[in-house]
Amino acid sequence: MKTKRHVIVTTVLAAMLAVLAACGNNHNGSAPSGDSQASAGSSQPAAAASGSATSAAAAKPKAVTIGIVNSPISLNQINDQGDSASKTVQALINDSLLDINDSFEFLPKLADSVETKDNQTYVVKLNAQAKWNDGQPFTTSDVRFTLNTALSPKVESSFRLNFIEGTDDAGKLPEGQSELSGLKIIDERTFEVKTKKPIDPNIFKETFATKVYFLPEHVLKGVPPEQLATNAYFQKPEVTIGPFKYANFLKDQYTEVVRNENYYRPIAKLDRIFVKVLPAANLAAQLQSGDIQMNSLPVGLIPITDYEKVKALPDVNVDSSGPSEPAEIFFNNKTVSDAKVRQAIAYALNRELIVKQLLKGQGEVIDGSMPSDNPYYNKNIKRYSYDPDKSKALLEESGWDANKTLRFLVPSGNKIREQAADILVQNLRDAGFKIDVQKYDFGTLVQKVLKADYDLTIFNRDYYIEPSNYFSLFQSDNANNFIFYRNPKADELIVQGASETDSAKRRQIYDALQQILHDDLPTLSVYSEKRIQAVSKNVSVGKPLNLGMFNRVNEWDLISR
Amino acid sequence: MLSYIARRLLISLPVLLGITVINFILMKLAPGNPVDMLIDPNTPPELLQAKKAMLGLNSPPAVQYGKWLLGLLHGHLGYSFSSYAPVADLIAQRIGPTLLLAFASLFGGMLIALPLGIAGAVRRNTALDHALTGLSFVGISLPPFFLGLGLIYWFSLKTKLLPTGGMHTLGGEGGLGDALYHLVLPASVLAAAIVGKKIRYIRASMLDVLEKEYLRTARAKGVRESLVIGKHALRNALLPILTVFGAEIPVLLGGSILVEQIFQWPGIGQLALQSILSRDYPTLMALNLVAAIVVLASNLLTDALYTMADPRIQYR
Repeated sequence: MKTKRHVIVTTVLAAMLAVLAACGNNHNGSAPSGDSQASAGSSQPAAAASGSATSAAAAKPKAVTIGIVNSPISLNQINDQGDSASKTVQALINDSLLDINDSFEFLPKLADSVETKDNQTYVVKLNAQAKWNDGQPFTTSDVRFTLNTALSPKVESSFRLNFIEGTDDAGKLPEGQSELSGLKIIDERTFEVKTKKPIDPNIFKETFATKVYFLPEHVLKGVPPEQLATNAYFQKPEVTIGPFKYANFLKDQYTEVVRNENYYRPIAKLDRIFVKVLPAANLAAQLQSGDIQMNSLPVGLIPITDYEKVKALPDVNVDSSGPSEPAEIFFNNKTVSDAKVRQAIAYALNRELIVKQLLKGQGEVIDGSMPSDNPYYNKNIKRYSYDPDKSKALLEESGWDANKTLRFLVPSGNKIREQAADILVQNLRDAGFKIDVQKYDFGTLVQKVLKADYDLTIFNRDYYIEPSNYFSLFQSDNANNFIFYRNPKADELIVQGASETDSAKRRQIYDALQQILHDDLPTLSVYSEKRIQAVSKNVSVGKPLNLGMFNRVNEWDLISR
Repeated sequence: MLSYIARRLLISLPVLLGITVINFILMKLAPGNPVDMLIDPNTPPELLQAKKAMLGLNSPPAVQYGKWLLGLLHGHLGYSFSSYAPVADLIAQRIGPTLLLAFASLFGGMLIALPLGIAGAVRRNTALDHALTGLSFVGISLPPFFLGLGLIYWFSLKTKLLPTGGMHTLGGEGGLGDALYHLVLPASVLAAAIVGKKIRYIRASMLDVLEKEYLRTARAKGVRESLVIGKHALRNALLPILTVFGAEIPVLLGGSILVEQIFQWPGIGQLALQSILSRDYPTLMALNLVAAIVVLASNLLTDALYTMADPRIQYR
């Protein structure tokens, strides 16, 4: 009797294990099976994967794995929710009208041309060969469907198109309307978009032509707008228009895309690409082991502490990106209201030390919000230097109450930024400030900032090309002006800059604006990182880039050495 | 016994309900919300308001909870606020790998800790006992992230015997063997902590029993020493041991978050962490519910195992 019980218990436990193991397996169901020869250790996907759809199936399938640190949250191409990881994988399976490269040049993609004579009416000619990956032609009717759907007030979308005629201030269609009046379809391959007033064509090109991805009308037609987001299509967007197509998406694990055999441009040379989620601390190790072939920007950042290690890897090419969006100190301009105090803080901070020691030279010190390679960056402004004496003098002059404590909110997560904040706090204490450091996760921090429950905080904004996006924060009447900065002169320049279409005049405006912001110092940047771009020597053409990493992903290849 | 289990299950229902209420309140009390995460000066405030309305965040908390409960009664756990995927799908995808990892490390740990703990008790105050004590302290003290990275360094980078992470070979055909091959390192890290803690428990529990007179009686009857220890002593020492192992299951579910992170194990730990950071309320509510069910179920399982270990225990 007793032994029988033992047998039962053991059997049940064993069965449970087996069932659980089987459960874990199910996810891979949709991955094509192949003659897996995963030899122990060399888990190179290229060696393990198999089962290409091409006739040349005899050859080993070519796969590249890209390392990313945060998981994409959504594959919904009209709503990336501002998430950079989602943008990364979406760019593999979706094409936009134009591409932008890291020299800020616009290149044709789905559109052959985007032209305007009056800076207000933009004529877009689509590529005549363009077709969805299921073979259906891509036409202006898909463009209309996408815009009317994404701009519906019932649909959540990350498109920010409130400069187009027919949208309200929030960039949505007014209640009761279902057609965007600023869109005019000329023929199957040509359409016109009219803006509310003339704008710099680069704004149109960046915000519309490079950011808008399209929805297949033949798949999604008839879905009620309020049910769109939860439609099964967005969990598995099999029909898209891009060099690769959706194969598998396992959140927090990997995204797998396979070559689109129906691509309207030269068909990709790689069979598949994996975007694999892993902790930043493992990126260097997996580059070394060959589990990943490259990191990605801006979400697959190799910690700067691993810089020398990655540089020493024999099979990996390493270089540095251009300057990226800076870590920026935001002042609560209501509580730290005297510009002299803010300047005193700027002189008190040893930012050179942070770049030299913490970033190992892979970065630069800047003062303004805009990275230094932006075409509108004002190079003539002299930066605040590390000058404790000047800081003390300014502070005395301002009559700052030395007993007042500054609440410094630091978001947790970015280790380099947290360490930099430690140095900043030390500098500030040396300069005679009382600092109360409060560390929070980003969600909590944002809540505190929005309630003005802070004196200074530090985080990075998004990377923009269009300069006006950096300055809208400083506008007095912007509801999102969480730093409470008010300057009528700056307001005037911000409005002028956003609407000026002549780039020479625009430069003058932004030069003046940057000078004002530099003197008033409502925010102060600390450092702008030059990110590590690491790629296996086996990969040709492809490498991590801040901008346009996947522009030519169809030309990426694996070379056997 | 069966009626006892049925009764326990019935009692669990109001407990579960209470847990979901408390979870909901705690979640709402936490600062932040899913919409304000987008601190972007270029997002019009109207859009944020529209999103709040769409997610139902404008209605009073009681109404929000009521809606959630109503959905639950109809078998809907809702949609994730971030990916808009059905929450039930998200959890179904993740629970298997987490349970696999938890039970593999629990049983692996138990299989190692049991003989070592017994050996320590039988040979108490010998060099072996001291060595085992030292070993258990190493197991307790080694932080999982350190052990994890160390194992990756040694087994994946140096000797290339085992994969660095994940649950399946990317692009491979998967299969049980592949999953077990990926399971070895993360399970070892979790098992190490279990072995460290449990050796001490088992040793202490056995020591208590070894003093007992019925063992002397057994020896006097001429029973073999291996039988005295393995049958008479172990059987009686087993009860407290079962209790601590039962209590370990919920701890494993929570404690594997770190290990899942290091080894990119696709379990609910990672899902929970991401949901907390993005304030994904529907997913969090469902995860809390699952966690509560697991805790209640493992308590019940422990009680059921008592009767197998000691038939004198009867539930009515």
